[in-house]
Parts: sequence; C-alpha cells; structure tokens
Amino acid sequence: MITVKDLHKSFGSNEVLKGINAEIKEKEVVCVIGPSGSGKSTFLRCLNLLEEVTSGDVIIQGDNLTDPKININKIRSRVGMVFQHFNLFPHKTVLENITIGPIKVKGMKKAEAEKVARPLLEKVGLSDKADAYPESLSGGQKQRVAIARSLAMEPSIMLFDEPTSALDPELVGDVLEVMKDLAKEGMTMVVVTHEMGFAREVGDRVLFMDEGVIMEEDLPEKLFGDPQNPRTQEFLSKVL
Amino acid sequence: MEFITESHYYRVMPFLLEGLVWTLLITFVGLIIGFVLGAIFGFARLSKNKLIYGIATVYVEAVRGTPILAQILFIYFGLSDLMGVNIDKITASIIAIAINAGAYIAEIVRGAVYSIDKGQEEAGRSIGLTRNQTMRYIIWPQAFRRMIPPLGNQFVISLKDTSLFSVIAVGELLYMGQQYYGMTFQAFQALTMVCVMYLIITVPTAIYLRRVERRLDV
Ligand SMILES: Nc1ncnc2c1ncn2[C@@H]1O[C@H](COP(=O)(O)OP(=O)(O)OP(=O)(O)O)[C@@H](O)[C@H]1O
Ligand SMILES: [Mg+2]
Repeated sequence: MITVKDLHKSFGSNEVLKGINAEIKEKEVVCVIGPSGSGKSTFLRCLNLLEEVTSGDVIIQGDNLTDPKININKIRSRVGMVFQHFNLFPHKTVLENITIGPIKVKGMKKAEAEKVARPLLEKVGLSDKADAYPESLSGGQKQRVAIARSLAMEPSIMLFDEPTSALDPELVGDVLEVMKDLAKEGMTMVVVTHEMGFAREVGDRVLFMDEGVIMEEDLPEKLFGDPQNPRTQEFLSKVL
Repeated sequence: MEFITESHYYRVMPFLLEGLVWTLLITFVGLIIGFVLGAIFGFARLSKNKLIYGIATVYVEAVRGTPILAQILFIYFGLSDLMGVNIDKITASIIAIAINAGAYIAEIVRGAVYSIDKGQEEAGRSIGLTRNQTMRYIIWPQAFRRMIPPLGNQFVISLKDTSLFSVIAVGELLYMGQQYYGMTFQAFQALTMVCVMYLIITVPTAIYLRRVERRLDV
C-alpha cells in the first residue's frame, strides 16, 4: 500500500533522513519508535508531502508522490494525518471542523457532510460536543475530534504523529481506545508513538528509527523482547 | 436658550457638520480601497517570489518612510503636473488615504497571517484542501479576527490624517473650522468644537477596540 524507497530528506545542509526503505501493507498497523530528533516526524510528513522529499520514492497505492505531475491534494485526502497538537480549527465548531473537508474537497452538501460527520462523532464518543468550539474541549477530546476530522475524508491510510504526547496521562486512554478500534476495523495505520504499550499490543510491526535510518524492524514481541541492534537495546533500556 | 444659539460654539456647528461628512467620506472610501491594497501587498510581502516581495516591500517602505503631508502634496500637485491634468481634491484625498493606509494595512495583514500557527495550514492541507482553500477558509478568518484591533487603530489614524487635507483646501472638518474663524475671528471656540467633533468619533472607537481586544485575548 505504501512503498518507500531510499528516501532522503535534508533541511539545508542538515540531512535528516538518510535513506529510508519501508513497505506498509494494507490493514497493517506500523508503529515507529526512536529517540527525539531521529527523524520520525519528518518521515511521517514525507508520506503526505507536508515535507518536500529531497530524493527517493514514496509510492502510495500506485501513485508516486515525487512525480511532479501528481495531484497532491487528491492524495492527501486519501491519507489522514493526526498531529501531536491536534491543530483543530479554532474558529469552527466541532461539527464544522469535521465537515469542512467533505464539503470543500469532495463537494458534498452541508447536510450530506453532516450525515457523514455525526456517526464519526459518535464513534469517538463526542456526539454531545457537535456544536462546541475546540477551546472548550479537553486535550483528549480535541484529539478525538481531530481523528474524526481525518476519518471524514474516508482515508485509506491514517498517519499519527505522537497523538497522545501532548495529553495529560488520564486522557491518553480514550484516544488510544479510538485508535485501537480503528486498527480492529482494518485501517492501515502508521503511528509514531512513545506509548510502548500501544505499540506492543496494537502494532503489527515496529520500526526503530535512529539518526535518519530505520535501524531495526520486527514484530513487536520480537523487537521489544529480543532486540538485535545495540542502539535498539540502548533505547529500549531507557524507555521501558 | 438664546445664549446658546447665539454662541459661537453653536454657530460653528453647521460648518463642522458639513466638514465631518467629508472627513468621514474620505476616511471610509480611502480605507476601503486601502484595505484592498493592504490585503494585496500584505500577501505579496508573504510571497516566496522575490520580485513580488520586492515590489511590495518598496511600496510599504516608501510610504512608511515619508511624511503623509508630502504624499498628499505629491499626489495633488506632483501627479497633476506629471500627467498634465487636474485631479479633483476629494479624489486626491481619497487616493492619498488609500495609498498611505494601504502600506500600514499591508503590514497588519502580513503580521496577522504570519501569526497563525503553522499547524493550521498543515491540518488544512492534510485533509486535502488546496493552498488557496486553506488560506480562504482556515487562515484568513483567524487572521482577520486578529486584524480588527490594529485596523480600528488605523481608522483613527487615517481619520486624523484627513485634517492635513486642509492644506489643499479640502472642505473637511478642520478646514471648515478654519473657515469659520477666518470670518468671525473666534478661533478658540471654533477649534474647541473641531476637537470635540474628532473626539466624538475617536473615543468611542478606542473604547470599542479595547473591548474587542480583551475579548480576543482569552
Ligand atoms: N522544518 C524544519 N527545518 C529545519 N530542520 C528541521 C525541520 N523539521 C525538523 N528538522 C530537524 O530534523 C531533525 C529530525 O526532526 P523530527 O521532528 O523528524 O524528529 P523526531 O524523531 O520526530 O523527534 P521528536 O521525537 O522530538 O518529535 C531534527 O534535528 C530537527 O531539528
Ligand atoms: Mg516528532
């Protein structure tokens, strides 16, 4: 579903991604872990071209994102993204946050878009918040709205960049619960996370990134139970 | 009652009300055009295209770096000379306010758009909105809210700036006051009322803006 070949990304003279190769299959949940500054966010952002790729290929469902002729807006609407800081639109209600994509990108009528949005709100447990503004929500509620906003575009892939790291500990559970449900429904997911418990339980595969490359990848039980690379061992000994 | 209606404070009023109409007309029409200029040049100042950015920067700096009185004379006398036509005084005044305020509004627009968190654009783009849609539906509405206090401030500044058009004998508020004391030699009463008229507009505006600002703060 996603194929990444020899992906390089530099900011000026600072090479952040130094040749990433990865293959993500349909319905797979891939968790990305690694130390701060190792390029996890940059890698994820290259998957929907929020960062311009310096060299290499990112192929999503047969479309090569580095092809200059590609319609990137179309592809972005198929690839949902959830951010660490939610990035809800503060001037729009919860419902409007969710419907703006379907209305403006897919050309739906307002009523039609709301028919899509309401079940999603229910799914993330926030039916009663449809008319609230984001500032009145807790962090965990905001993140669940952000997930619903992405889902409203009916993406085939969801990218999560540390979706729970800005949350108070007691709010993390609700968000992870929603993500688990998504995984169970067969959503293809790439999740950058510090939640090792989630990676172990929900991940089909875990990638360990360090210094701009994927140092090790394996099934969760293997990677967490018996890491081969000394860098992985060192990292896990610090976080577990 | 007679002591009121006979006083110069009262008798200057018909002049001043006529002047106020012109002052407000020049200010409003000038600022509407100035806002369009400000939006265009404000976005140009955010452009990555060096030429567009350069042109906008020259405009903004040229206006901000010269006195408005010089700009007024330049537009009224300088441009008429250059083009060999007489520009109508009111038109010249409106153009002067528009060009002058346009430069300051460009900086207001640039600052407000720039102040919106980068994550807003990323969130918009990531659900598939185009660059233009993201600007129009996500960034601009938020930026516009932040622009209200500085725009109101610019309104007060431009309103006061119209008094400078008295040098080219535009019949605005200050000029009409001058006309009155030219005939009656009652400068104190006439100018007191001129100031009162400005304050009647500017003070409520300032109070309103402070309230808006406080509301936007939270
Ligand atoms: N827009 C940018 N401009 C310049 N440098 C950047 C930019 N974004 C990221 N970097 C640099 O790229 C490197 C990798 O950053 P990235 O955000 O991908 O790391 P990360 O693994 O997600 O870290 P964290 O766990 O702290 O989120 C860092 O050194 C960072 O300073
Ligand atoms: Mg990161």
